[in-house]
Amino acid sequence: MRLVAIAGSIGEQSYNRMLLQFMADYYKDLVQIDLVDIDDVPVFNEDDDLSNSEAVQKVYQKVFGADGVILATPEHNHTVPAAMKNVIEWLSYKLHPLDGKPVWVVGASYFNQGSSRAQLHLKQILESPGVNAIVMPGNEFLLRNAKEAFDDNGQLKDEGTVKFLDSIIQKFIKFVKVIDMLDAPDPKTYKDEDLESKGKVNTTIEGVDMNDEHWVEKAAEKVHAVEGGTYVKLDRGLLTVDQLNYFLKTMPVELTFADDNNQFIYYNKSLPTEKMLAPRRPGQAGDPLGSVHPGRAVDHVKQVIHALRTGESDLVSMPVPGNGPDRHIMHYYKAMHDENGRYRGVNEWVVDIMPIIKYYLAVTGKKLVDDPTATPISPITGVDVTSGASAKAPETDATSGASEEPQSEPKQPEVDTTSGASEEPKPEPKKPEVDATSGASEN
Amino acid sequence: MKKFIAIVGTNAKKSTNRTLLQYMKKRYAASAEIEIVEVAGLPLFKKTKEMLVPQYAKEIAQKIDVADGVIIGTPEYDHSIPAILSSALAWLSYGMHPLLDKPVMITGASYGALGASRAQAQLRQILDSPEIKARIMPSSEFLLGNSLKAFDEDGNLNDQEQSEQLDGLFKDFLLFTDISNQLNHANVTNEKEMNNFSWDEGSSRREEEK
Repeated sequence: MRLVAIAGSIGEQSYNRMLLQFMADYYKDLVQIDLVDIDDVPVFNEDDDLSNSEAVQKVYQKVFGADGVILATPEHNHTVPAAMKNVIEWLSYKLHPLDGKPVWVVGASYFNQGSSRAQLHLKQILESPGVNAIVMPGNEFLLRNAKEAFDDNGQLKDEGTVKFLDSIIQKFIKFVKVIDMLDAPDPKTYKDEDLESKGKVNTTIEGVDMNDEHWVEKAAEKVHAVEGGTYVKLDRGLLTVDQLNYFLKTMPVELTFADDNNQFIYYNKSLPTEKMLAPRRPGQAGDPLGSVHPGRAVDHVKQVIHALRTGESDLVSMPVPGNGPDRHIMHYYKAMHDENGRYRGVNEWVVDIMPIIKYYLAVTGKKLVDDPTATPISPITGVDVTSGASAKAPETDATSGASEEPQSEPKQPEVDTTSGASEEPKPEPKKPEVDATSGASEN
Repeated sequence: MKKFIAIVGTNAKKSTNRTLLQYMKKRYAASAEIEIVEVAGLPLFKKTKEMLVPQYAKEIAQKIDVADGVIIGTPEYDHSIPAILSSALAWLSYGMHPLLDKPVMITGASYGALGASRAQAQLRQILDSPEIKARIMPSSEFLLGNSLKAFDEDGNLNDQEQSEQLDGLFKDFLLFTDISNQLNHANVTNEKEMNNFSWDEGSSRREEEK
C-alpha cells in the first residue's frame, strides 16, 4: 500500500510537515508514505489553465497513483491555508485525482484548538462534488501545542499521542482497503459483465476513446506515461521500460491484459499479427473486450470473466479446436488480484503446447495412447464434469476469430480454419540438449 | 456619504459576483460610494520570518482602513471560498488588521441554484477568527443562484423580488455601519489584543489558553 501525504502550508517552519515526516519514518514497515511538496503550485485561475504545468502534474500524478491520501492542515483564520485550498482547486478543475480516493485529515497547530475548525472546513471541501474524495469519518487527530510536541530528532514526545496515532493509522489502512472495494465492479451474474467497459475503475484513463486506433499513444500522453530508459520499480526487481518490453516480448506465450473494467489494455506483440496464434492488431489495444470479440462469443467471454472475478475459478484453460494432431493451442485465463485480494483483471496467455508434449515424449521415450476411461473436465473449474454438464463450456477467445463452436471435448479437436499460421515451428525432439542442472535429465 | 470597499472574491475575468457588485455600486450610488477592488494578482499567502506582505495587499488594507465598511462577493469553489480570496484575507490579517471591527456585508452568486451558500457560511467563520475579527452583518444572507440568468443586458437584476431583498439588505447595512460605530466599548482592548496577536501562537492571550 502506498499513501501520499501533503502538508497544507508553504514557505514556513511547518509542524504539519514534521508530523507527516514523523509518520512516514515511524510507520515505514507498515505502509509507504510519500510526502508531496506543494510549494511551487501556481495560483488557481480558471482563465489560465495550468493543469498541465509541471508543478500541478507532479502533485496530480502522486495523488492519482496513491492508494490513499493524508492531508495535514494547520489553521489560518479558522480555515485551511489558502495554499492547500489552492491545490485542491487545481485537483477539482480539469483533473480529478481525489475522486473516490480515501483521505485522512490530520492537523497540527501551535495552540490548543489543534486546527479543529480547519479540519472541518477541509472535510467539507473534500466532500464537494468536484473533489469527491472519501474522507474517513471520525478519528480526528489534532496535535496541539505543536512547538513542544517534537523532540530534537523530530520524534513525537508523548507516548499516549503516538499510541493514539497508531490506532488511527491502522484504521485508515483498513479504510483504504474497504474504499478500494467500493471501486471494484460487482456484476451480480455473468450476464451483467460489462464488455463495453462503460463503467470505470481507478486505473481507467478517461477522456480518450477506448476504440481509438491510437489509444495507446493518446492515453499515454494523458497520464504522462514513462517509457524508454526510465526505471520502474517492480515486485521484485528494477527494470527500465525498455527492459520490461524485451522481457515480455520474449515470453514463449502470447500475453494479453484485460483489466477489471473489461478493457483490453495490453498485449506483448511478440509476433506480427498474421503470425500470432490468436491474432491481435496494435490498434486494438485499449478496446473494450466487447469490441475485440464477435457477438456470438460474448456470452462465453462473460462466463469466463465472471468465474475469474467471483473466484469461482482462478484459472480457466480452454483448448482451441481444429488445429490438427500436430498442434494443441491453449488459451489460459488467470485471475489477477491486488495485495488486498481485489480482482484486477485477466492475464491471458495463448500457447501451443504440442511442442512441449513432443519434447517430453522424445526426452522420456514415452508415447501417447488413448485412455478409454478419461472423463471430460470443465475448462472453467478444471474438475471432472458429467458429459451432460459440459455442454455449455465457454468458447475460447474469439479475437482470433477462431472457434466456431463451443468446445466441450478437448480430446477431439476438429480440424479447422482458425489460425492460418500453418508454418508452425517444429519441435526438435531428436536433439534435446540435456541440461543436468535443469533437472531435465532424470530419466 | 458612506464609503465602502467591495471585494470581488475571485480572479476569474468573467464573474457574476463582480457583476453583482457593479450593480450595487450603480444602484446605490446616491447613498454610498462603492469602490470595487480585485484580489487577482495577489500571491498565495505564505508566512515568512520577516512577515513580508505584498505591496498590493498593503494598498487594499489602506483602502479598507479609511472605508466605512466592506462588501465581499464570493463565488463557491468546492463548497468553500476560492483560495485567492482566502489568501487575500490571510494577507489582510498578517501583521496588520484593517478588518478589525469593520462592518462587513457578504453576497454570493453562483451558476447553480444554491448561491454560494456553503462558501458564505465558511466566510463568516473566517471573518470571525481571532486574526480578523470583522463585524459581519448578522442574519443577512444574499444568495444569488442561477446567476448567469440573473442580469439583463444593462447589468440589472431581472428578478424584482431579489432586487428588493438586496435593497433592503443594503439599507440595513448602512444602518449596521452606524450601529457598529457605537459598539465601540471593546475597540481599544480588541485593538490591543490584535497588536499582540502572534501568528506563531495562534492567540494573543497565551496565559489564559494554557
